Amino acid sequence: MIVPMIKVRILGPGERLGSVLRAVQDVGVLHLTAPGPVSAKATPKAPPVPLRRLGQLERAAADAETAIALLGLHGTGREAGAGSLPSLVREVRRIRRTAELLVERRHALEEERALLQRYRHLFEALESLLPARAMAPEARAYQIVLRRDQASTLPALRHAIRELVGDGFELPTRTLPSGETAMLLLVPKVGSEKVERLLRESRVQEIPVPGGYGTTLEEALPRIRDRNAALPGALERVGSELLDLGTRNRDVLFSARALFHDELARLAALPLSSTTAHTFVLEGWTPEAAEPRLGAALERGFGGQVVIERVRREEWRADEAPVVLANPRLFRPFELITRTLPIPRYGSLDPTPFVAVFFPMFFGLMLGDAGYGAAAALLALVIHRRSRPDTVWRSVAEVLGACALFAILFGLGFGELFGDLGRRWFGLRPVLLDREAALVPFLGLAIALGIVHVVVGLAAGAISGRRTEPRKAAGKGLSAIMITLIVTALLGAVRILPRGFITPAVITVLVAFPVLIVLEGIVAPVELMSHLGHILSYTRIMALGTASVMLALIANRLAGAAGGVVVGILFGLLFHLVNFALGLFSPAIHALRLHYVEFFGTFYSPGGVRYEPLAHWAPTVGQARMT
Amino acid sequence: MTVLWIPLSAALAIGLAALATSWAQSKLGPALAATLAEKPELATTAVILLAIPETVVVLGFVIAVTILLRGG
Repeated sequence: MIVPMIKVRILGPGERLGSVLRAVQDVGVLHLTAPGPVSAKATPKAPPVPLRRLGQLERAAADAETAIALLGLHGTGREAGAGSLPSLVREVRRIRRTAELLVERRHALEEERALLQRYRHLFEALESLLPARAMAPEARAYQIVLRRDQASTLPALRHAIRELVGDGFELPTRTLPSGETAMLLLVPKVGSEKVERLLRESRVQEIPVPGGYGTTLEEALPRIRDRNAALPGALERVGSELLDLGTRNRDVLFSARALFHDELARLAALPLSSTTAHTFVLEGWTPEAAEPRLGAALERGFGGQVVIERVRREEWRADEAPVVLANPRLFRPFELITRTLPIPRYGSLDPTPFVAVFFPMFFGLMLGDAGYGAAAALLALVIHRRSRPDTVWRSVAEVLGACALFAILFGLGFGELFGDLGRRWFGLRPVLLDREAALVPFLGLAIALGIVHVVVGLAAGAISGRRTEPRKAAGKGLSAIMITLIVTALLGAVRILPRGFITPAVITVLVAFPVLIVLEGIVAPVELMSHLGHILSYTRIMALGTASVMLALIANRLAGAAGGVVVGILFGLLFHLVNFALGLFSPAIHALRLHYVEFFGTFYSPGGVRYEPLAHWAPTVGQARMT
Repeated sequence: MTVLWIPLSAALAIGLAALATSWAQSKLGPALAATLAEKPELATTAVILLAIPETVVVLGFVIAVTILLRGG
C-alpha cells in the first residue's frame, strides 16, 4: 500500500530557521521541497549556503569515515557528550592522521616481511656459502641464482669463467627448495669486468645486496636475520597501537560522524527553504498520520512563533509527492522485490500484496518438492538467524521461507520428496497431479494461472487508473473482460465448458473490439495480442516444474546405478545438491520475470519520488530502509 | 517412419529453440556484463533481459512435449 501523504507549509521568524530545521530533523518525517509562492507581495528566496562551512563539514565527515574504516570499527553508535563541533573536527582530523600513519607503517613492515620471506631460502643458502668468501677476501663477489631450467648450464658457466680468469675463482653452489641454484661467484678484481660481461650475456640472474641492510653480503645477511626476527614484534606493536587508538576513540568517531552528517543534511535543506526580510517558509510532504507529531514538536519548541498548515490538495500534483510503501507484516518482506524496480508513482498501485501472493506460489509450483522445500526452509532459517531486522538479508530469509512453504505444500500435493524417493520410501501419492506423467494437465494449470495473473493485473490497472487516466483504465478493464471471454470461448471449443458459451462470448468480443480501439487507439489490438502472448509465457511454470522433477528422478536413478552403496549415496547427494541449487535459482529468476514483465506490464506505473525526510543520519539512510 | 519422425521433430523443436535462446543470450551476456560494470544498479533489468529469450526455449519445450504426446 502507498501511504497517503499531505503537503505542509511551515512559517516562522527568519532567525528561527536553523532551530526549526533542527526540530524538523528530530521528528524525521518531513520530505522537504522548494516552496511555491506564498503571496503575491512577498518574494522569498533561498538563504545562502555557507560554502566554507559546508566544505569544512564535508572534509570532517570524510575524515571520520576514513578513520573508522582504517581502524576497522563497526557499529552505528551515536554516543552523547561528543563535545563542540570545532573541537570534534580537530579531534577527528588528529585521529585520522594518526591512524593513517600507523596503517602506512604497518603496510611498510608487512611489505618488508613479505620480501624477506620470499628470499629467505636464498639468503640462508648464501649465508652457508659465505665461508668461501673468507678465504678470498680481496675477490669480487657476485650472488647468482640459476633457474631450475638453467641448472644444466652450470658446468658450461664454470668453463666459461675459467677461460676468462683461469683457475683463480671460486663458485660454491647450493640448491634451493624451489629447485633453483644459489651461487656465490668470487673472482679476482682484475678479471671482474670480463666476468660481469659474461654474466650479462649469459642472462643469469644476479641478486644485488638488499638495500638498507649494508653494502656487502657479509654486512647484510646478519642484519636480515635480525630484522626477520624483529619484524613480527614490530607488527604486533603497530597492531596494538591501532587497536588502542580505535578503542579509545570509537565513541568520539561514531558521534562525530553522525553529527557531521546531521549538520550537512541541515545545510542541504537550506536551498529548499525560503526567507524574506523577517520570515522563513518551509514546505514538504509528510505521511498524513505523522502530521500531528510534527505539529506537536513545533508547538512544543516554538509556541505560537512557528505555524504549520496543510497545503490544499488542489495545489499539488500527485506525481510530485514522495512514495512511502507500508504493507502488513506478512507482505512487507516482498517489498524487496518491488523496490528492485523504480518505485511506483504516488496515486498508483503498490504491487507488493499481489507479489506476496503469487511469487511464492509460482516458486512453489516450479520447485514442487517437499524435500527441496524443507532444505530451502532450513536455508531460510539460517539466513534469518544470521541477519538483523530490517535488513535486505532478513527480507530474503522471509521471502525464501514463504517460497519454501509453498514448495513443501505443492511437493506434498505432487507426491514428491527428493523426486520419487517419497513414493518409494514413504508411500507418498500425488494428490493434485503427477508432474512426471500428467504433462498436459500441468500445462493447463500453468496457463490458467497466467490467465488469472494477467487478468488480475489488468483489473488492478483499471481500478488504480480510474481517476488519473480514466480512458486508459477503461481500456484495461475491457481488455481483462475480452481475455476472459476469449478463454471462455476456447474452453467451450474444447468442451470443457458447454458449447453454448462460444457464440455469446465471440459476439461480445467482436463488439468490444472497436470499443477497445476507440478507448486505447490503434495500438489496442497489438496490446491485446501481447497480453495473450504473456499468458502463454506462463507455460514456463510447467516447463521448469517438469525439468525439476525429471532432474530429481535422474539423481535417484544414477545413485541406484552406481557400483556400491556408499558411492551411490554420495553420488545421489551430490546430484540432489546441484539440483537444489538450480531449483532455488531458476524458479526465483523466472517467477521474478513473470512478475516484472508479464504482470507489472499490465498496470505498474514507475517513476515515483523516493521519500527522503530530513532526519538524523543513520548508515541505512538512502539505502533500502524498511518503513 | 513415424517412429523416427516424431522423436526427431520433438528433438528439433527443443534443440533449435535452445540454440536460438543461447545465441540471443550470447549476444546479451557481454553487453549486460559491460553495462553492469558501469551501472551496477541495472542488475534487475539485466536479469530480466537475460531471462526474456528463455521464453523461446520454454515454448520449444512445450511444443516438443506436445509432439511426443500427440504423436503417441
